[in-house]
Amino acid sequence: MAGGLIDDRSLLERIRRGDAGGAEELFERYAPALLRFASRMLSDRETAEEVTQEVFVKVISRAHQYDGRAAVSSWLFAIAANACRDRKRHDRRATIVPLEAVGDLSASGEGADARLESRQRRAAVRQALASLSDEQREALVLARYHGLPYAEISKVLGISVGAVKTRIFRAVETLKARFSEGERSWNAAN
Amino acid sequence: MECRELTDYAVDRLLGEAAAPERDELERHLAGCGSCSRELAALEETWGELGTDRDDPVTPEFRVRTLELLEDEMSRRRIREFHPRKRALRIFAQAAALAVAAAAGFLVAARGGFPARPVSAGSPLEPAAGANTAPDLAVNPRLSNVAYRTEPDGRVGIEFDSTTRHSVLGRPEDPQISRLLAYLLSLNVQTAGEKSRAIELVSGHSGPGAAEASPDVVSALGATLKRDRNPGVRKKAAEALASFRSTPEIRAALLDALASDPNPGVRLVAVEALAASAKETPDPKTIQSLREKAFDPQENGFVRARAASALKAIDL
Repeated sequence: MAGGLIDDRSLLERIRRGDAGGAEELFERYAPALLRFASRMLSDRETAEEVTQEVFVKVISRAHQYDGRAAVSSWLFAIAANACRDRKRHDRRATIVPLEAVGDLSASGEGADARLESRQRRAAVRQALASLSDEQREALVLARYHGLPYAEISKVLGISVGAVKTRIFRAVETLKARFSEGERSWNAAN
Repeated sequence: MECRELTDYAVDRLLGEAAAPERDELERHLAGCGSCSRELAALEETWGELGTDRDDPVTPEFRVRTLELLEDEMSRRRIREFHPRKRALRIFAQAAALAVAAAAGFLVAARGGFPARPVSAGSPLEPAAGANTAPDLAVNPRLSNVAYRTEPDGRVGIEFDSTTRHSVLGRPEDPQISRLLAYLLSLNVQTAGEKSRAIELVSGHSGPGAAEASPDVVSALGATLKRDRNPGVRKKAAEALASFRSTPEIRAALLDALASDPNPGVRLVAVEALAASAKETPDPKTIQSLREKAFDPQENGFVRARAASALKAIDL
């Protein structure tokens, strides 16, 4: 994760003192990761951006509540996970992932066929992720896409290391079954 | 190791959390178990497949929008956290400031004083030629570089570039100022900070019992509440509408926000404003909407609780 522990804490201290530069620096460090997390937890880019904004606004109002028991990055992911859960409770559409929501990859320099296949695979992954329970998805996304170790995920989600492992195992098993089912449908269709 | 433990071992390995003895044990098992080897290959393929989902980047627009929102939030926080200095400290600070000013004056006088400096037409300290004249808003002029200031007597100064630099001074409730603020609010070229400032000026001088907001202001605030992409700005627009005497138009805008705004903070402001309004005027549509929110299991807990307590307080 970007930024050392001490630096991150001093940024929170600057935010506590009302220094807008501290908030800007924290945004530069963590907005990409938090946006990636939110976009995999929620339905669309716009909602993910709103939730990411909410996280930083909450950080400003809660900077004084950070108690230093976990890394600042874990604290931020915990706020983001709660914000995503709140948003999903409010918006049931969050489980639907339209193909067009996964973005255009035209800038990648691939050919048209490769682009289409890449886009379809990406949509399939997003749909597979959306099929997981929220608990399994949170743990899997933090492990697979953010490289957080079990111990850190347990702090973010407020559960034991054993529970983290169980959620990831089950998520991977579910996805394996889903991907192999998708493969069979794909082969049958072609 | 037994076959049923494969997933456990495999995921540890995929996450790089497997210790050396565990890895060795897995390798030994795989060497003699064909079905576990195939299963592990499938799990690794699944893990690799997840990697085809590319990351969403932070766009420049999102970055700019969010940094504006954060700066705005920090400014509000600084205002909320302001504590007046103690009396003794204040007297000392004033005395120190006087001493510094006197010393600076002495030095300047000793050196022959400042050279004469012409006041530019666009200076924020001096009214420009044609000050206190707003452009004709009916022709949708393009206004930019907007700056606001509040005078000690409560009047509001608004400066902006149109064909020339304009400077308008008046009370927020003056029709000319009110129309200009509403027009500025409707401009998409404004940053979130500028919009928030315009909203504060529109709402800061009203309150319960104040005169009704002008239709221009209500319309501009309603449009901002409905369409602005920034939740902080939408929340401010809702708060501003709530600060006026309730009218059917204001209620309609707040009901729409309560029903469809994705941000729970905005919905909370809407529900509180509607609750206050329904206490005064028990409008059936408002009561129905509060009732729906109070029993909506998908709604944010704070919004639901506020809707429920509002219903209790209304004499139905």
